[in-house]
Amino acid sequence: MRVGVPRALLYHHYGECWTSFLEAVGIEPVVTEATTSDTVVHGAVLSDNETCLPVKVFAGHLLQLKENTDAVLVPRVVSQYDGMKACPKYLGLPDMARSFDPALPPVMAPVMDLADRRGRWAREWYQLARDTGASDHCADDAVKSLLRGLREVEAQPQGFSDLTPQAPRRDGEVVVADDPRSFTVGVAGHLYNVYDSRASLGMLGRIGQMGARIRTVDEVSRRDVRRQLKTLPRKIRWDFESRMVGAVLHWSRTRSVAGVIYVSSFACGPGSMIGALIEDQMNREDSVPLMSIILDEHSGEGGLITRIEAFLDMVRRSNQGTSEDEVRRGVAKR
Amino acid sequence: MNISVPRVGSMQYMAQDLCDRLGLGFVETPEYTERTVERGVAIAPEFVCFPMKVLLGSAIESLEAGADTLVTVAGYGACRFNYFAEIQRRILEREGYRFQIVVFDSPRDSLGDFYRNLRVVLRGSSVHFPGLVREMSLAVRKGWAYDEIGKRALAIRALEAEVGAVDAAIAECREILACARTRPQIEEAGKAIAERFDRVPVDEERPHIRVGITGEIMMSLEPYFNCDIERWLARNGAVIERSIYMSDLFTPRGRNPVSGRDDAEIGRVALPYLGHEIGGHGQINVAAAADYARRGFDAILHFFPFTCLPEIIAKMVFTRLAQDFDTPILSVSIDEQTGRAGLQTRLEALIDLAWSRHDRITQQKELDPLCCTKG
Repeated sequence: MRVGVPRALLYHHYGECWTSFLEAVGIEPVVTEATTSDTVVHGAVLSDNETCLPVKVFAGHLLQLKENTDAVLVPRVVSQYDGMKACPKYLGLPDMARSFDPALPPVMAPVMDLADRRGRWAREWYQLARDTGASDHCADDAVKSLLRGLREVEAQPQGFSDLTPQAPRRDGEVVVADDPRSFTVGVAGHLYNVYDSRASLGMLGRIGQMGARIRTVDEVSRRDVRRQLKTLPRKIRWDFESRMVGAVLHWSRTRSVAGVIYVSSFACGPGSMIGALIEDQMNREDSVPLMSIILDEHSGEGGLITRIEAFLDMVRRSNQGTSEDEVRRGVAKR
Repeated sequence: MNISVPRVGSMQYMAQDLCDRLGLGFVETPEYTERTVERGVAIAPEFVCFPMKVLLGSAIESLEAGADTLVTVAGYGACRFNYFAEIQRRILEREGYRFQIVVFDSPRDSLGDFYRNLRVVLRGSSVHFPGLVREMSLAVRKGWAYDEIGKRALAIRALEAEVGAVDAAIAECREILACARTRPQIEEAGKAIAERFDRVPVDEERPHIRVGITGEIMMSLEPYFNCDIERWLARNGAVIERSIYMSDLFTPRGRNPVSGRDDAEIGRVALPYLGHEIGGHGQINVAAAADYARRGFDAILHFFPFTCLPEIIAKMVFTRLAQDFDTPILSVSIDEQTGRAGLQTRLEALIDLAWSRHDRITQQKELDPLCCTKG
């Protein structure tokens, strides 16, 4: 039996756990290739025009699994962290997947509710394993290793980069490693946008080429995030978005970055709210410069490059004093 | 202290009643106008959804009308409304308004916060805590009766034998209800309302179609946003049922007395199309639409603000539902750019479709009285 796993949305967080679960119960996982322009176009045609870019990308990946799989795995992620709630799109993702195209293979939708420490949701994964013909013992082991894997992902904040080979973060670091005048910018965005080089139009690589070091949200430890979130008057209940806010506040308050680029997708619900929150909070604290970039399937590379360039130039100026000389040298070097 | 609450459905009515009971000042939120929308859009973040932009404009207007305390709710789960009050506070502060804001989450989330918020609101009142619980429950009861008037009007407006009979009944019933204060009086008023509506002259034989209205609460309840859809549909011969009422949301334990579907039933009915609660009122709407389709409604209308998270999921799910039951469903997304003419054209098309479906099924029934409707 071949079960498809779309390389989209929370695959960028938990993909490895899901595929190894499938392998453990004797199913061959078929993970789609990295996003291409075709994926985005087909996905945008298939899904509703008011959904966000990542859901359209998801639809595109799903479409690739139409021919060569017997089922697709679309876990229903209810929450990722304690006391948090997922974005409604994750909650309804399997139902959306079922209504994209009637010809799609059946959708397996076990629940993943990581806030439930008692792990009652694991029963659904066990049942899934049994339904596909795994033995009692084998299903039990698979679920246990799934739980272990998820705990590791949560405990290890920098574990994502290996999951996403297309992430060009490392080149970015290499390019600027020996440039003493380089500075760091924080890129705050969902991992499925930032690490998907087509969705983000290769943003990380470009920032690296332009001579800045990059920090992403997953590098900030949970403890720092929690400490920063406590300073907000109202608790944010969205999983990853709360982490983004915590990370941005951590960067800006410790001045560990010289500027923050906030990346969100058009029609992202939680993103629209926390974008406004970050903007207001950083404004009140008179913090580092902030630029927000909204991605959708129409985003063009040209516009993105110009904006990033302008932003980095501005950060460079405010970072190094406004000596004209230095600025000119910086431009000439590039 | 002058309290103001958002203007959505019967919320104003219930809040005003409760403030009267507690002896608190209450400022009625002005009616929505183009100006409200413009002012909200001007200061709101670009990508928040339409109701929030409108509520921002509306909050400015009520602050200018003399309110100093904005009371709002946030118990909508994963939908973005959950964080709106905080953004609203920040924006209005930035704009230089002086006010306090009290945000009620569901008491199920945190009883402590709920209690603390109540203390803040009650600072100006002499009512003690047990009395407060009683008054709150009475205000919600009155809300049920108020929404019941609206529900009954929807069901018979298209069939009224003489023009204006339903409007007269509504006005009369609201007067009856306004005098009710204690629980027996409210129950009495409820009976009087039922009797009054039974006396409205109705032409049962008139051909009509049945249309269900679902959608995001503000867009489907407030006539300003949906172009007074209820009257328009009634003029086109549609008997209407609506999925959502404001007073239901204030009823504890998910009983929903006005719409008559409790939360357990909602989950069960929605299950084939939506396997989980998705925040906002997405599940309620999917359940309602599935119910309407099963009962053979001729069309279903679905209103939501542009990019609304739960309702977009509902909309995508509706494509499957519409195929399964052969029921036309029109999803209308509304924002500050929505033009009335465009909306009108689409509604007319839907009504035409609904009438042809109605005629086809009536014919089939005449030819073969034993055949049931599809679905």
